[in-house]
Amino acid sequence: MSLSLTVNGDHLTSAADPVTPLVDVLREESYLTGAKPVCREGFCGACMVLIDGNPTPSCLMPVALAQGYDIRTVEGLAVNGGLNPIQAALEASDAVQCGMCFPGMVVSLTHLLTTCPEATRDDIRAALTGNICRCTGYERIIEATLLALATK
Amino acid sequence: MVTPTTGSVYVAPSLTAALDALDEGGSAAAPFAGGTWIMRAPIRHEPLKSRYVAIGRIPELRAIKIDAEMVEIGAAVTHVALAAALAELSEFDVLTAAASRSANPAIRTMATIGGNLATTAFAAADCVPALLCLDAEVEIASRGGRERISLEQFLTMRSTLAPGWLVQRIIVPRRGRKTVHARLPLRRAGDYPTAIVSLAVSVDDLGHVRTASVAVGSVEPVSRRWERLEAALVGHPLNAAKAAEAAAELVDEFTGRDSADVPAWYRVRVLPGLVRRAVAALGS
Repeated sequence: MSLSLTVNGDHLTSAADPVTPLVDVLREESYLTGAKPVCREGFCGACMVLIDGNPTPSCLMPVALAQGYDIRTVEGLAVNGGLNPIQAALEASDAVQCGMCFPGMVVSLTHLLTTCPEATRDDIRAALTGNICRCTGYERIIEATLLALATK
Repeated sequence: MVTPTTGSVYVAPSLTAALDALDEGGSAAAPFAGGTWIMRAPIRHEPLKSRYVAIGRIPELRAIKIDAEMVEIGAAVTHVALAAALAELSEFDVLTAAASRSANPAIRTMATIGGNLATTAFAAADCVPALLCLDAEVEIASRGGRERISLEQFLTMRSTLAPGWLVQRIIVPRRGRKTVHARLPLRRAGDYPTAIVSLAVSVDDLGHVRTASVAVGSVEPVSRRWERLEAALVGHPLNAAKAAEAAAELVDEFTGRDSADVPAWYRVRVLPGLVRRAVAALGS
């Protein structure tokens, strides 16, 4: 059975088993490697993608149930071919990390910037409780998010 | 290569269609709501079912009905939807807190109330003790009919529920009580609770406890009421220090569950402190 997905605006078909986690299909069939299958429990956030705009751990989403939704990975967050506001603020603030957890953080923070323009420092911390970084660096990420909110 | 699995997912458009599919699938089939437990089966070295019936898009299972007598919650209501629906009803503070503090924000948009109740092996589900202290009932359904039982009954029989049955909704009576949910995770947020104390009380005109319901979660494999502590609270003023003292005297009735992250004894040891915190939050 062929599955039909919409990823970053592109139409994709997959022959994967319907219960396969979405993160595996994204990485192994579409070569979208931003999302990382790290904990596979939905707790680390490294596999976070947007499903119809909502941050979703793609390790917990069977690919069959992702059909019919707009799936947006970190690779699809660019605006007019450039960095989106949160990506730009993270770069400007030297808040970039090693790349393992960071794509998931960018996804979660992009959602926060879109849905909560008045977000406080506590709101940012709450939004990041599902994104775990083993290297620290949260404070600069929070500062960068505040910068993005202020300049939006 | 994509992770090898074998199975099918049927997205049920209606409750009738879901019950038919579960009936036809027999023991090979299972309901699939948020999937936050099922999708983790491989890391628990458990096999996936060969057939899942997805119930997350069935309108009546996603509905919350609130009237003067009760609140009815469809099994596929997510934690975030439940917290939003009950936010203005202070008598349900315990359930709002349970639904809005569990796991992390993304999980709360996926995890469902029905999944919390039906997942036998998940001892740390926040909504279970919260619903226990609210005297919730569970309606289960199969193609052959429906049955309404207390949540306590459901917890004792859920692991032996015959194939084809589904949690349809949860019914919570409205009794105007003061309620609170106290949980202790290892990290401040985004973590499983080491122990949970859910509390619902009513007080008389003199401020004495008239009725008390205390439920404990995450300490033992299955959440349960703490009836001896309930009895110790009734008839006395709400007092956090006294309640914690009573809890400390009675805490030896619990046998903690061991796990890689928390030893059994520690889950039990923190209970009096959680009782103190819960009662204090009610304004003793």
